[in-house]
Amino acid sequence: MGIGNQDETAFEFTGNWKEFAPIAFTNALLTIVTLTFYRFWGITRERQYLWSHSRFIDDTLEWTGTGVELFKGFLLALVLFGGPWLVLTFGVQALVLQGYSMAAGILGVIAFLLLIMLPGFAKFRALRFRLSRTHWHGIRGGSDDPGIGYAWQTVWRMVLGYLPFTFMIPWAMTTLWKKRWEAMSFGPHQFESHPSWEKMLGRYFLCAVLGPILVIAVFAATIGSMTMLAGDGGEPNGVVIAISVIMLYGAFFLLPIAYYAAFFREGVDTLELSTLQFRFTARTKDWLMLFLGHGGLWLLAVLVALVIAAPFGLLMDFSALQANGPQALGVFPMIGLAIAYLVPFSLVMPFIRYRNWRFFIRHMEAGGVIDLDTLTQSSTRRNAEGEGLLDALDVGAF
Amino acid sequence: MQWPVWHYDGSNATRHECLLSAGQDGFRLSDAPDPDRFYPWSAMVSVGHRNGTDLYAHRDLEGWRIVFPSGTPAELKPFLPKTKHYGGVIDRFGLWPAAAVLLALSAGLILFVLKIPEYLAPYIPMSWEKKLGDAMIGDFGGRICHGPGADKVISDLQARLDPKGAKLDISVVNVDMVNAVALPGGKIMIFEGLLKKADNPDEVAGVLGHEIGHVRNRDVAQALIRQFGLSAVIGGGNAGAMANALISYSYSREAEAAADTHAIGLLHAASVSPEPTAAFFGKLAGQEKALGKSAAALGYLSSHPLSASREKAFRDSMDKAATYRPILNAEEWKTLLAACDSDPNVKEGGDLDLF
Repeated sequence: MGIGNQDETAFEFTGNWKEFAPIAFTNALLTIVTLTFYRFWGITRERQYLWSHSRFIDDTLEWTGTGVELFKGFLLALVLFGGPWLVLTFGVQALVLQGYSMAAGILGVIAFLLLIMLPGFAKFRALRFRLSRTHWHGIRGGSDDPGIGYAWQTVWRMVLGYLPFTFMIPWAMTTLWKKRWEAMSFGPHQFESHPSWEKMLGRYFLCAVLGPILVIAVFAATIGSMTMLAGDGGEPNGVVIAISVIMLYGAFFLLPIAYYAAFFREGVDTLELSTLQFRFTARTKDWLMLFLGHGGLWLLAVLVALVIAAPFGLLMDFSALQANGPQALGVFPMIGLAIAYLVPFSLVMPFIRYRNWRFFIRHMEAGGVIDLDTLTQSSTRRNAEGEGLLDALDVGAF
Repeated sequence: MQWPVWHYDGSNATRHECLLSAGQDGFRLSDAPDPDRFYPWSAMVSVGHRNGTDLYAHRDLEGWRIVFPSGTPAELKPFLPKTKHYGGVIDRFGLWPAAAVLLALSAGLILFVLKIPEYLAPYIPMSWEKKLGDAMIGDFGGRICHGPGADKVISDLQARLDPKGAKLDISVVNVDMVNAVALPGGKIMIFEGLLKKADNPDEVAGVLGHEIGHVRNRDVAQALIRQFGLSAVIGGGNAGAMANALISYSYSREAEAAADTHAIGLLHAASVSPEPTAAFFGKLAGQEKALGKSAAALGYLSSHPLSASREKAFRDSMDKAATYRPILNAEEWKTLLAACDSDPNVKEGGDLDLF
């Protein structure tokens, strides 16, 4: 039996934020009263909603991961990240202080290598974990590759990418994308991807060459207007300031987004699973709107934080705190400050994840026919740990 | 009775439209790939929703699912597991009662963690702390100054300032910073920069008294326990890290104030004037004033109270009736000042920014 055709959208997001909000709000409440420990179960509830409101052809996706798995992933991340970090901060310091510079150097280099391997390792494991917990028609994905080889690949490919004035970054990113996806499978089928890095070079050059030029231009204009101001004491030129702001915005925001949009589109457009071909329709403008929306949410969060902080008297002049001596600021205002930070953070992050997922599903397309009878269950190992590393290092999985 | 269900058996992606025939202990699925197989109710797990209706999985069969397209029939609900909302324990008590209980537990836990280092620290044997200190510091990379006569002056200084206390490992180190630190194992280090900045041995006595206060109050052991405990309880994440830093620092500020009180007591008992120490903080306060409001904000987040309030505390302890005498005579003071310059073997410290 085969399903799917070329004319309909294969992916559709059917959720809405009004249904999602009660999940986000109750998660925020439970996260705060459990000193953030509930967050693993909260994220699981979020995903169950998001996945079950994402239709692919004739049925929705299903998230089968659990809070306990995410918690184990977090513990693993603590060990993997915390181990080298402890060695770097305390071990190396102790050795230097005692005069063993050589040993300190070697230990430092080993710990440092482990640390720079971690982002690639985390990204790989997160993708693997998400695929192995995503069911469709009762079938899941996964990988049997532990991702250690991939982590090394990340290190040397990124180093090579940076060496020629960073110009080989598109090559490093696309070849890593290919390595990552081709290690993954869904059901019995292996993913295939063959993105071309030459295609993205144009956008990358804009980003890597035009960006710095814009920054230097703004710098020169600032110096120039400052010397002019010093000379004849005139007013700052509004037009120059506006142009400078637009140029900096372009250099740090627009150009990188334009490059990333092209990279992601190329990655997904060349992704295949057996007879399925995927496509990603988001252009630079769509990514821009996504990030601007995130920015708006953060602004809202800052306002909420100020409202919460005010009753604790945390907004008053800091110098007034000293008047009563060293103990003027007790533990309770401290806890108030922590809450003023925690509440908006726990309220905004779910909606950012919601918007990211909705963006991803809305712009995903797939063409081709699936034979349901031969789409058999995945034989990959179902690993017990979640994507804690990903959470710890804050890199995206897809 | 029979009910229509959608069914995935988990072996492949084909969807089966079956009839579920229910019995007291379980059910069978007609038109399924294996129509004779009996599924006990007890093997069913609720795994969320599909288009608003409950989705059920089999405990042991990966990918096995059934869905009642028009909702779970009322007759079958007693046999099937309830939908999970927040997680096992919370669903049992309800959201609000569970949240209230968890909040109370968390508040209790924070208070416990804040208090426990105070209770635990005195029970940590000094010998453990000493080993930890030796492992961490050693001979400070050869930067400890042993100029001629300096060791004796330091030892006399402690004997006069703190005659009743156990012998401490006090040293001058060749680092150009205006600071002194109490480290694990009763090690106190006076940075050479502080000596150069001091006009008077009594100033050094005041600062040394403060560090001795940290050692006697077991502040170092407390801080070690507190840091370890808080990071374990409050967990990871940015919010956790921030709360952690704020709470631990607020406590060490109290410890700073207590160490000042200890220093004032030692100076008083040794008949050493607190005025030079007050003047020393006065000098630092002048520098902080030049920095303006940012200094106040810094004092609020940094571990030491602002110098101006410390200056006041020391000056207020002046006893008009007392006869004060200097802690070191001119010759001893000169020897101490030259502790590093007169030591040919000491290593150059540079600007260590470790503490």
